[in-house]
Amino acid sequence: MSTGWKPGIPAPTRDDLNTCVQCGLCLPSCPTFRITGLETSSPRGRIAAMRAVQAGEATVEGDFTRFTDECLACRACEAACPSSVPYGRLIEAARIQTEAARPAHDRVARRAGIAGVMGHRRMVRLMGLGMAITQALRIDRLLPQKLRLATPRVTVRGMRMPLPASSGEGPTAMLLTGCVMDIAFRPVHQATVDALVRGGYRAVVPRGGGCCGALAAHAGELTSARELARKRIAELEQAEVIVVDSAGCSAHMRTYGHLLADDPAWVRRAEAVAAKVRDAVEIDAPPGRPVEGRVAVHDACHHLHAQGIGPEVRRTLRAAGATCVDLGDGGRCCGAGGIYNVLEPGMAGELGEQKARAIIATGAPVVAVANPGCAIQIANHLRALGSDVEVRHPLEIVD
Amino acid sequence: MTTTAGALADRLRHLLGPDRLLEGDLARNLYSHDGSIVGGDCGIVALPETTDEVAACMRMAHEAGVDVVPRGSGTGLTGGAVPLEGGLVISLARMREMGEVDVANSCMWVQPGVLNLDVSMAIAHLGLHYAPDPSSQQACSIGGNVGTNAGGPHCLAYGVTVQHVLGVEMVRPDGEVVVLGGVAPDPPGYDLRGVVVGAEGTVGIVTRVLLRLTPLPPDVRTMLLDFLSVSDASAVVQAIIAAGVIPAALEMMDRNMTMAVEEFVHAGLPTDAAALLLVEVDGTAAEVNTATEVVERVAREHGVRTVRVAQDEQERALLWKARKTAFGAVARVKPSYYLHDCVVPRTRLVEVMEAIGEITEREGVICLNVFHAGDGNLHPIIALDRSDPDETERAMRAGDQIVRACVAMGGTLSGEHGIGVEKRDYMPLVFDDDDLEAQACVRRAFDPDGRMNPDKVLPTGTRCGEVGLADTQVPEGTWI
Repeated sequence: MSTGWKPGIPAPTRDDLNTCVQCGLCLPSCPTFRITGLETSSPRGRIAAMRAVQAGEATVEGDFTRFTDECLACRACEAACPSSVPYGRLIEAARIQTEAARPAHDRVARRAGIAGVMGHRRMVRLMGLGMAITQALRIDRLLPQKLRLATPRVTVRGMRMPLPASSGEGPTAMLLTGCVMDIAFRPVHQATVDALVRGGYRAVVPRGGGCCGALAAHAGELTSARELARKRIAELEQAEVIVVDSAGCSAHMRTYGHLLADDPAWVRRAEAVAAKVRDAVEIDAPPGRPVEGRVAVHDACHHLHAQGIGPEVRRTLRAAGATCVDLGDGGRCCGAGGIYNVLEPGMAGELGEQKARAIIATGAPVVAVANPGCAIQIANHLRALGSDVEVRHPLEIVD
Repeated sequence: MTTTAGALADRLRHLLGPDRLLEGDLARNLYSHDGSIVGGDCGIVALPETTDEVAACMRMAHEAGVDVVPRGSGTGLTGGAVPLEGGLVISLARMREMGEVDVANSCMWVQPGVLNLDVSMAIAHLGLHYAPDPSSQQACSIGGNVGTNAGGPHCLAYGVTVQHVLGVEMVRPDGEVVVLGGVAPDPPGYDLRGVVVGAEGTVGIVTRVLLRLTPLPPDVRTMLLDFLSVSDASAVVQAIIAAGVIPAALEMMDRNMTMAVEEFVHAGLPTDAAALLLVEVDGTAAEVNTATEVVERVAREHGVRTVRVAQDEQERALLWKARKTAFGAVARVKPSYYLHDCVVPRTRLVEVMEAIGEITEREGVICLNVFHAGDGNLHPIIALDRSDPDETERAMRAGDQIVRACVAMGGTLSGEHGIGVEKRDYMPLVFDDDDLEAQACVRRAFDPDGRMNPDKVLPTGTRCGEVGLADTQVPEGTWI
């Protein structure tokens, strides 16, 4: 039987596809299905589409690419699936296919955003500087709205905020400085360092640093993702614990072993690094200050669905005395999805607004958000609705 | 695409816009399936959002003479929402609005695309719920529930969908909008609402449903009983009810099913037991205590090994999650499943379970049982890999023999899933030609052109006034 997959590159496997019995229990957990009501934007539908390509009844180009692009890869469907269909693995493999099939100019546009910029520290900082300047001069208002809603607030001072190279005593915990985190969220890094010191670690912030490759992997840019993984492994493997204060990055780094499984020179090192990864909210540390009142809690998909992290965030906040308030939306994705909000602004905008409204409805003055993509999306949508609810990483709140 | 179909597509696109009319090959492929293994051939898919839009779609299809297949969430298990020979699929998935709760009359109008569980979640703060709870309730739609007259674990005590639908607004095949039934307990005239519930989309498209809302019970207790023999567990089902207790729910799960689902839920289910019974009793605290004592006593008389009582809401929810996600967990065994939902008199449960065991063993197929034991509504799930033609053949044979065995014991074809395509050709097992003709006449009174969900429910030979004339147009693609 001839399949529609492009040869020579990874594709969704028959075994993985066979784990779906099309029962449809995943449908309501899917944010895009909730909005469109379309089978074509549901997990079951996307898996059926993969099966159609597998069976040679459809091609990767055209509608298949469209349906695949629309997926947030939030993996909420995995938690709902009684067969434990490895949906995250399926969609990443499907993306490798759709990226390979994309016309050159389209690929370049995506690559420029993902691998081209995020992969190189200098490029990231240059981009950050560009953002800081346009925002300071308030000429960012001239940008298309879809870009503005996906852009973090950046200041030159924030970008240059010094972080201690080493602080505290105890086992060595190295911090992933990352890409977006490094230009827009250094205060979160500082709060994480403080938490590590309180928790009895020697916190080390490596010089240089850079992207973990998650954005490239989610976009199907496997070569860049692997290259970045190797760089981070070499940089961080000496540590006893690798601490990551971005949910998307900690989830991705935990899959380094899988990512480099076919690379005999690196697979062992990759597995060792993956095993050392701790999300920042998993650090067992006393709070830095008491927190009174209500804190709304947003669960990042890469926490809740990819790593089963959720109680840890609440435990961290409660230990400081805060009252945690859930959003009552079943942990639905905020629509950020890595760079999804740039690529699919319509869908992302609806989800972002829904999320912002759910946060406002809690009446809490601050919302805990442990992922930079979510933080940018949520902050921008809150602002668009005229809300002054603060968006903070849970460790910042207790710092 | 023929000229008529092309012209219809143009008109629908003009009405709904390109985003709400799906015409591409891949999209049509996705709408050629539902939760069953039946495969079909989808023409185009329209997604109206209002009753007026549905009426307009129906008028256009009527004028073009095109068949119409209504679709809810597509979780059905008998191919009821699968278009067999092109035509127009009308998906109600975007009609998701709920009206105001009429507290005085305990009822509420909802659109058909509203999901079953969303109704109960939206009204819980009023101390109310919508009682029918199909295991797929997190995903299945109210419109689909009405179409199949859906059941669920709690229908043992509370009754099935038809008892909870007070009225419907329906668009007839020619586009006329009618309201059948209503808030009054017994509206005058024939109970046409009762005809629509369970009609599987063959008489029109329901666009609003008036749901009866039921008070949440003041107290509830959930018990898990485990047995070392399926026969003992089956006997307990009848004995509990004979002892005067009608539990809110009384469900059975055999060992194969328990093993598959425990891997997903980690509810601490005993995977070495031959069968589990999930028993829920509700009412006032005193009623619950008495019922619990009776259940425990009867179970001990029949050799129960352990009785586990859910200690809190969290444990109770976990036990129910195990029950309600069971079907999907079958993929842990094989990539597809084939099942019937025959009903047998409760008194024959022991016999029928033995017969199912013998049949599946003889055919060499893996069977997982999880079902509404209290009302004798079986769900023998035969796990199969459709890429293995021999195994598929054996699974079909086993299913066929199970249906026949159930009917021979005084049972019937379907408790809640409906007939669809999948059980259509078994209808003559339980109805003679006169019965089928009478049903065809009812259908024809609503749909004279035979364009609503054609070739479903009644065997293809059944036409009003011409029963027995063999129709050779057996839909292709069935059993892919």
